[in-house]
Amino acid sequence: MLVKDVMTRHPIMVPPEMSAAEAEHIMTENLIRHLPVVGDGKKLVGLVTRQRFALKPDTMASLNVWEITRYLSNLTVQKIMLSAKAGEVYSIDSNRTVEQAARVMTEHKIGCLPVLDDDVVVGILSEIDLLRSLQEMLGLPTRGVRVTMRMPNKKGQFAALTTALSQHNLGIMGIGSFPTPRQPGFYDMVLKIPEVSMEQVREILSQVPEQEIVDIHEE
Amino acid sequence: MTRTNGKVPGGPVLSVEDLAVAYKIRGGEIEAVQDVTFDIQRGEAHGIVGESGCGKSTVTWAILNFLGANGYVKRGSIKFLGQELVGRSGEELRRLRGDQIAMVYQDPMQALNPSMRLGDQMKEVLTVHRGLSDKEAEKRCISMLERVYMPDAANVMHRFPHQISGGQQQRVVIAMALLNNPALLIMDEPTTALDVTVEAAVLDLIAELRRDFDTGILFISHNLGVVARVCNKVGVMYAGEMVEVALTEDIYKDPQHPYTQGLIRCVPKLGSDKASSTLYPIRGRVPPPNNRPPGCVYGPRCDYVRDHCREVRPELRTLPNSVQVRCHYAEEIDPSQWQPSEDILPPKIRQNGDQEEYIIQVKDLKKYYEVQGSSLKDVIGMGEPRYVKAVENASFNVPKGKTLGIVGESGCGKSTLIKTIIGLEDSTSGEAQFLGLDITGDLTTRTEQLIQELQMVFQNPDSTMNPSYTVGQQIARPMLRFGTVPKNQVREEVVKLLNLMRLGANYFDRLPRQLSGGEKQRVGIARALASRPDLVLCDEPVSALDVSVQAAVLNLLLEVQAEYGTTMIFIAHDLSVVRFFSDYVAVMYLGQIMEIGPADAIYALPYHPYTEALLSAVPIPDPSAKQKRIRLEGSVPSAISPPSGCRFNTRCPRRHLLPDGGKICETETPPWQEDERGHRIFCHIPRETLLTFEPVIQTKERAV
Repeated sequence: MLVKDVMTRHPIMVPPEMSAAEAEHIMTENLIRHLPVVGDGKKLVGLVTRQRFALKPDTMASLNVWEITRYLSNLTVQKIMLSAKAGEVYSIDSNRTVEQAARVMTEHKIGCLPVLDDDVVVGILSEIDLLRSLQEMLGLPTRGVRVTMRMPNKKGQFAALTTALSQHNLGIMGIGSFPTPRQPGFYDMVLKIPEVSMEQVREILSQVPEQEIVDIHEE
Repeated sequence: MTRTNGKVPGGPVLSVEDLAVAYKIRGGEIEAVQDVTFDIQRGEAHGIVGESGCGKSTVTWAILNFLGANGYVKRGSIKFLGQELVGRSGEELRRLRGDQIAMVYQDPMQALNPSMRLGDQMKEVLTVHRGLSDKEAEKRCISMLERVYMPDAANVMHRFPHQISGGQQQRVVIAMALLNNPALLIMDEPTTALDVTVEAAVLDLIAELRRDFDTGILFISHNLGVVARVCNKVGVMYAGEMVEVALTEDIYKDPQHPYTQGLIRCVPKLGSDKASSTLYPIRGRVPPPNNRPPGCVYGPRCDYVRDHCREVRPELRTLPNSVQVRCHYAEEIDPSQWQPSEDILPPKIRQNGDQEEYIIQVKDLKKYYEVQGSSLKDVIGMGEPRYVKAVENASFNVPKGKTLGIVGESGCGKSTLIKTIIGLEDSTSGEAQFLGLDITGDLTTRTEQLIQELQMVFQNPDSTMNPSYTVGQQIARPMLRFGTVPKNQVREEVVKLLNLMRLGANYFDRLPRQLSGGEKQRVGIARALASRPDLVLCDEPVSALDVSVQAAVLNLLLEVQAEYGTTMIFIAHDLSVVRFFSDYVAVMYLGQIMEIGPADAIYALPYHPYTEALLSAVPIPDPSAKQKRIRLEGSVPSAISPPSGCRFNTRCPRRHLLPDGGKICETETPPWQEDERGHRIFCHIPRETLLTFEPVIQTKERAV
């Protein structure tokens, strides 16, 4: 799963000369939280987020009512955006992996990454896109049995699991694994198996040696 | 990626709401488009269908602000990526839309600059919009051309538009449109000018690109089959209004609006013929925008119209199954209970029985055109003469009162064949007899009586009529010229013909410009019949017409045939129409008849490999139908030096079935394989093997 498979293509973008009020309006109306700012040829110039509209109280305090109006009407996207030139915007290449993107976002604690192909914006990747890919990875849209297996960190464990399933003619439509929390040397594996009952899965998987069913759900 | 029907992140790419477009004319203005509402999400293809003059193109022009000096958006809004387009200045629009909306039009030749190399035209898109270097731009253009499956992409960059085929030109236009990765692609009849086989390949390409680039597509077409193949949502427009918007599966399976139901009844289904099924045209025609009826615009043509419809204009409302429809009584209308009204009831087809009397017999007919070479040898007349072999060894017989349909891609020699028969061209060699008379020579060698017996209906009714003669004069002319009718009865006879064409005596004094396209074509047919010919040659008589008119004209031709027992040779590129209309069908490729026989035998197993490919390319207005996917590679070879052996061997997808990868196809001319019904296939592959192919199209009702 690469960034280009998960991102939202053709994001709404604005030019730097647009007034901040209009940009705010576009964001509210389209229910979006991030707005890439682009110049000619869709080249990334900056990024506007909701927080960027929060004006500094000290600027406001020094102005009277009339000056505030003028100040606001002269405020352009250029003035409030995070600037790409100044290195304030983190972005990612469309051919990177999803987990790399997630790492950049968690490391810097940011909500979105503009996706670039040679400086040209081709999409945007937000937390929502990543959460959607998580759902899909674990096979949420279709109904089935979701089972978590705990297995020792050894070779051949996953093979044993899939063999057991394939012997009963069952397929896997979603899969994920992670190290068991607070139990080093073990891994938890989540599987989504369609067209089967919970009892059947329990019966089959409890036969797999060295592994145990930690959790089983039908959803 | 699965997305639910709820709020899509980022909103739709294009959102049109209550759009009304008006054109200012002398003494007021007319609203060409009224209350059109639709959305296009990312990666969605939204089709718009409807007859000509329904305002389909006006909608796209409004989106592009391309309405001309007298057109403007009167009401409503057009939002592109969440930003309003209506009411902006040109410069603002340019910046807003920038390189994010791209267009593909019907005629690729008009979109390409004929005096610039393709590479330079394509590179311009990138160097101007993105400021890329020339080298970088070239690299990207080549990879985009490869993406649209252009053979020999790097080489094509150095060619001029006229040096590549029509299908390839359209590919270049599509590649150019996609270079900037647009969010919205507007396609206005992109495949109408292309052959079925090329069309199928371009449609596959569009569907694939939509997936890969997540581009929203607005797809305009009059062809319901094409829309069924590309779009996931369809809007039906009638007289400037959206009358029904639904998912593609729903609209073909369960059309709600009477107009949509009528449109679907107009189109012959592939595999249906005139004996087992009938076409029902929609009566009347689209009202002009300045004279729309009050109440429901479709009221005057609707079979279910009630008083309420005539008074109150219906709103576009959403039915429980989320189909939007503009009809007061959509829930009550059941199309399966529909009965055709008297005035559109098609003629009863008389089966003339199986007469073995052939009216026209053609044997080994050849037509070669000499081409002038450009070398010095050629100029001084020393060079070897070269020929375009337009028709090679055509043999067929047509019994009296029957119809022979001819199909094939453009350039396959269909038109040359009938031009030779009618005498516009003489033949190079071979025999051709009409009622025992020799017709191998051109018109100068023919007697007047022979000319009178052979008449022709042309494709484009506009260019075949003298604009300054009245309808009556045009039809009367052959009668006077051949003296088939005494002078004092000519008017009576013309009126009789006009009545047969369902036009009426009041058309006698009209000029061609006062007629609609369908009416002109009827006059064309009436004129062809005026000399009471025994054989009428029809060259694409219905392809320039709207589907509802097409159904009416086809019915009319059937009626004429039943009335006068006329024999017809019928050329069309639409295989469903040919199947419907013809008793016998000939499939031509590169001047050679590949398969010929009774119509039902052509459209059923065994097929010639070329027929199989043609059938698999036909767009079917039924999204649930399963169709085999065979796409021919490359383009039709030159007729100056056709491939040796079987002419189809360079593109044949089936030749690997023969030993040695089909070596025999290159070296030897295939034999004619004939069965007891007279169905002949020109192929090396034995009939038994051809019989084992799977049927190309499988619908719920029947396999074709």
